Amino acid sequence: MKRRERSESQSSAARRDWREIALLKFSAHFLSQRRSKLKHDAKELCVVKMLELRLVQGSLLKKVLDAIKDLVTDANFDCSESGFSLQAMDSSHVALVALLLRSDGFEHYRCDRNLSMGMNLTNMAKLLKCAGNDDIITIKADDGGDSVTFIFESPNQDKISDFEMKLMDIDSEHLGIPETEYHAIVKMPSQEFARICRDLSTIGDTVVISVTKEGVKFSTTGDIGSANIVCRQNKSVDNKDNETAIEMNEPVSLTFALRYLNSFTKATTLSNTVILSMSKELPIVVEYKIAEIGHIRFYLAPKIEDEDETQS
Amino acid sequence: MDAKRLTSRPSVGTNGESKTAVNKQVNHVTSSKRFQASYEGPPPPEIDEEEFDEDVFLEEILGEEPVTDTGVQGIQSRLAQWRRPAPPQYHNAYDNIVFQQLEIDYIIDESSKELLPENKGPAAVLRIFGVTEEGNSVCCHVHGFQPYFYIAALDTMGIDDIPKLRQTLENRMRESGKNSRASVCVTDIKMVQKRSIMYYQKQKTRNFYQIFVALPTMVATCRGILEKGIHIDGIGSRCFLTYESNVLFALRFMIDCGIVGGNWIELPARKWHDRMDMRRLSYCQIEVDTLYSNLISHPAVGRYSKMAPFRILSFDIECAGRKGHFPEPQHDPVIQIANLLTVQGESKPMVRNVMTLKTCAPIVGADVMSFESERDVLLAWRDLVREVDPDVIIGYNICKFDLPYLIERAQALKLSEFPILGRIQRSRVRIRDATFSSRQYGQRDSKEVTIEGRVQFDVLQAVQRDYKLSSYSLNSVSAHFLGEQKEDVHHSIISDLQNGNPETRRRLAVYCLKDAYLPQRLLDKLMYVYNYVEMARVTGVPISFLLARGQSIKVLSQLLRKARQRNLLVPNMKGQLGQETFEGATVLEAKAGFYEKPIATLDFASLYPSIMMAYNLCYCTLVRPDDMKDLQLDPDIYNKTPSGEMFVKQAQEKGILPEILEELLAARKIAKEDLKKATDPLEKAVLDGRQLALKVSANSVYGFTGATIGQLPCLEISSSVTSYGREMIEHTKKLVQERFNISNGYQYEAEVVYGDTDSVMVQFGAPTVEESMNLGREAADYISKTFTKPIKLEFEKVYYPYLLISKKRYAGLLWTKPEKHDKMDTKGIETVRRDNCLLVKNLVTECLNKILIDRDIPGAVQFVKSTIADLLMNRVDLSLLVITKGLTKIEGDYAVKAAHVELAERMRKRDSATAPGVGDRVPYVIIKAAKGAKAYERSEDPIYVLENNIPIDPHYYLENQISKPILRIFEPILKNASRELLHGAHTRSVSISTPSNSGLMKFAKKRLSCFGCKATLSEGDQTLCSHCRGREAELYQRTVSNVRELEQLFNRLWTQCQRCQGSLHLDVLCTSRDCPIFYRRKKAQKDLSEAEVQLERWEF
Repeated sequence: MKRRERSESQSSAARRDWREIALLKFSAHFLSQRRSKLKHDAKELCVVKMLELRLVQGSLLKKVLDAIKDLVTDANFDCSESGFSLQAMDSSHVALVALLLRSDGFEHYRCDRNLSMGMNLTNMAKLLKCAGNDDIITIKADDGGDSVTFIFESPNQDKISDFEMKLMDIDSEHLGIPETEYHAIVKMPSQEFARICRDLSTIGDTVVISVTKEGVKFSTTGDIGSANIVCRQNKSVDNKDNETAIEMNEPVSLTFALRYLNSFTKATTLSNTVILSMSKELPIVVEYKIAEIGHIRFYLAPKIEDEDETQS
Repeated sequence: MDAKRLTSRPSVGTNGESKTAVNKQVNHVTSSKRFQASYEGPPPPEIDEEEFDEDVFLEEILGEEPVTDTGVQGIQSRLAQWRRPAPPQYHNAYDNIVFQQLEIDYIIDESSKELLPENKGPAAVLRIFGVTEEGNSVCCHVHGFQPYFYIAALDTMGIDDIPKLRQTLENRMRESGKNSRASVCVTDIKMVQKRSIMYYQKQKTRNFYQIFVALPTMVATCRGILEKGIHIDGIGSRCFLTYESNVLFALRFMIDCGIVGGNWIELPARKWHDRMDMRRLSYCQIEVDTLYSNLISHPAVGRYSKMAPFRILSFDIECAGRKGHFPEPQHDPVIQIANLLTVQGESKPMVRNVMTLKTCAPIVGADVMSFESERDVLLAWRDLVREVDPDVIIGYNICKFDLPYLIERAQALKLSEFPILGRIQRSRVRIRDATFSSRQYGQRDSKEVTIEGRVQFDVLQAVQRDYKLSSYSLNSVSAHFLGEQKEDVHHSIISDLQNGNPETRRRLAVYCLKDAYLPQRLLDKLMYVYNYVEMARVTGVPISFLLARGQSIKVLSQLLRKARQRNLLVPNMKGQLGQETFEGATVLEAKAGFYEKPIATLDFASLYPSIMMAYNLCYCTLVRPDDMKDLQLDPDIYNKTPSGEMFVKQAQEKGILPEILEELLAARKIAKEDLKKATDPLEKAVLDGRQLALKVSANSVYGFTGATIGQLPCLEISSSVTSYGREMIEHTKKLVQERFNISNGYQYEAEVVYGDTDSVMVQFGAPTVEESMNLGREAADYISKTFTKPIKLEFEKVYYPYLLISKKRYAGLLWTKPEKHDKMDTKGIETVRRDNCLLVKNLVTECLNKILIDRDIPGAVQFVKSTIADLLMNRVDLSLLVITKGLTKIEGDYAVKAAHVELAERMRKRDSATAPGVGDRVPYVIIKAAKGAKAYERSEDPIYVLENNIPIDPHYYLENQISKPILRIFEPILKNASRELLHGAHTRSVSISTPSNSGLMKFAKKRLSCFGCKATLSEGDQTLCSHCRGREAELYQRTVSNVRELEQLFNRLWTQCQRCQGSLHLDVLCTSRDCPIFYRRKKAQKDLSEAEVQLERWEF
């Protein structure tokens, strides 16, 4: 470590020379590009870039905010042509939230360029509280502006309110968990999952989730005792939502902090089912589908014995 | 063991005996005595100080066989050159021996046959260690002084009852069975005419028995017997209150002989006997026997006020610890010992030496001794101590670490001949655990290492006592006082350096030498020698008591001395816990605001001491309500205090406490006047030390009477003092407002804006400083006249402008002369509090500067905003965010969970070596954690935070650290301060960094975002989104210049650290937690590497 420190300081001079050369190279490169660039700019100059999203089911946005505002305080919303998304770690950096609302789920979706909007989620949730459950919500932002506007229209168009919120400049890294094949995927009623997490947290701080062919077992131990809850696979014929289904390549057993799982279940209102995807030594994914339009995924790293004080 | 044989010098032991000697020694070293029941059982009661005599029998400490000297070959001649100068030949017949004593202890030995032919059996022999003017060491054995105490005789008891009393006591003492060594326990009982110091009595004296016992510990046993009750034939069962039975034997001796700590003692010719070579017990150059009645003690005036050229040894050891463990003496060797010998009064050290294990390259200006085995290092050090014969041993944390470590290490190596470091031949160093607890200084654990005849002065303990600092590491203490940083080598690196080559060991040796040199420099800089010797002389206690014991022994010592002069006795009345409390000082209501007119401050000079003097408050002038009838006192010969107690006036009987105070204050006045005249900086320092010692002593007298668990509490006195104080403040306020108003012909209306314990702040209304000063002086004189002497109200200073926040919290520019302000003075504001981070301190100081000095309120607001923005953007140095708190108790003792305690516990689990222990100050920062996590769960070690890139929680700092102090300052000035300062636009830019150690980061992938607008980049783009491509040149330039700036910053910090370690060619090893540069360097390094990664993305 120390040695590295030193070598860095000494080699920095050499690196500076290298950079000088790079700068020259770059100038040449830049000049060549400039011409084509100017042309391109002229084409776009007349258009005012902006963002405008119109969501008919305004209540969805309210529910999404309720689900994540306890985990994340400040975050950047990323808007691109494909959709409206958010990736953020919770303040203790143990859990990660990934939200996606696809552009095709909006009634109207205009995003002229990729845009990142920093918002304080507590304040945003406060604003969205002002929207009625049936209201249509429109999100509007001008390019380069420092605020975002929320417009709430009542279903019969007799009331239109707009709220402006100042944006924040949040300097953070964009994080994402790559998609992988999971060893076990459990689909179960979201109410059921929320209840299990709540019940178990009265006994202990952590839960062991074990998936076998027969079913999925949630168990915990604490000072006052221990608890086990097993959910068997069942195919409910009349109601798909009540079904518990397990797809599994190999059995998995992982330990998680209940505190976080309980926060995730705030998203229960978004979907009737929850999908838990797990692999050995990988974070669990707790996914709630948001009707037709997207999903919200929570990632949580498993607890490894005798480690991870940050989780406790 | 035959005691007789031992005093005459034992013959060389046989083989069998030498074995027992070794075993015995092991016992000694390990015999640890719990001083107070602090480890086991319930938490210790808050005992201010508790002292016990401990009888040490000479035969117990001496090994039977003179240790075969297995010293190290080849260094004797080198050591010999540092010996003391040879002593002149003293002749008993016509030479007086004059020396400055530094240490007094006693030992149980056979009574001297020549001096006291009639005494038999073991007796306490006092040993005075000191230095003559020529620099020769002296050990003086003082014989014939017997421990004693007093009891009050019953009215029915007379001189005839003495034999009965003596016989009964003797029998009871025998039954208690602790003192089997002495043939007679109670050696004598005398009838004396004395009086108790408690309560005013008309009767001048009454009968007391003075009980002499054979050994000092018997005083306590005997006291216990008498207090519990004793049955005497013809008198019946009685309990006796004992007097002066809690005085340590050495102190008793000093009081009776008029000796004060660190004064000069003369042994007149023909009154001393030289110890012949055969009977010598010590390594001192001059060793004599005398009777206690022959000593002449000189008060510290004239030629006897100076210091003898005593020798001060400053040392430091280095140990090679194993990875991840703090060095333990059972396993880890001592690899280096650096020594610095300074003769008091000389500016340069006489010897600079370092002893190393294995070879070491030479060091300019230092004497390097290299040894092949650790045994040789230790023994060479022992020889060095013996040869240079230091009077004072100093170092940093030597009492808790270095000395115990050396001794325990020697024990682990089975070097029984090592721990003979004292001045008594063949006497081994004793070591025991001690817990020191005092209300004033808090509790701390320490090891008590007894090195006979040498004063130990741990600079760490002294600094901890006298200064409130945020960290007490040698590094930060020297940075604070000497303005100098030192590199801090983590102990895990030390082993690597040791296992390297002579050059790396040289590096370590230089470091070690510096560690030995700094305590000496601190000692000089802080004038500790002068201040402590002065304090010892003023209060009359031995120098070693000043560090090891609290305040009350000093007052007690003065009280006993004074009482002795007045033929009074001090009863042994321990105060009880949970006694009633009394009303404290008054504080006038503060009229908060920002005053732009001068505020004059009227101060009472030494308020509490003056009150005690003015109203003659003392133990011996207090009239109990019960006694009131019997005494038939005239109403005009006593004062009734506002709290309802009665004290007779000075004419009847002058109190002892007022007398002590008068002397102290008179002495202080002289010292202050001398200080004004003095030109020599050294002399100034001595005098300043003296006047400070006098002031502290005068003020502690009041505390002594109020300490309910102290030696001699008397709440009547302390509550009277505070009640007078309260009355005076109110009185002053009334007078000022009555007199200084427009109706009395003054131009303005005076208003008292605030008043504290001993000061009143007045706004006279005058717009200039000069006018206010004149009015202030006038008011002080006018009001002083209405008080009893010597209570005096003084006008000292004017505040202008003055920001009064609430009671005990204010800030202002202080003026003592009308031309220019002296400085900014603040009280109770976060500039001085220690449990705040540096950011708050800097912020508050800067704001006050802007508000008070520059009178630039918008500038101050702007400064707060930009600081808050920096904090949220994570641009603030970590060193500014470190909070430190002292770990005063072990974890279980804390009732509520505290951040620093929890952190200490977590750090102990991580690495027990670096984790802070009880008494240390714990530095921590608050990190981001799950919502709702308590502050104690979020505390983290700053270095761990740096290494793992853990994000700190700016909101904690904003809400819990910055907001309160800032709002306090701005609320009197600004409307809507909270909204303006804490919630403006500047709070909307934040930075969220990602830690490198979080559980999820192992799986997460970072996605690139555009340099320009932070939008996520689509596949294939490396640097910019299509939108920002036009700004490519600008953004690239920005990245490059960012890297360059960080490089320069890092290089500057790096060279700064290289300078500090004194070599520009070597790596920087320092990991000092207290050094702001260290944190900045680490942060710059991290930022730089991140910036370089960013730069590489451009791929040019």
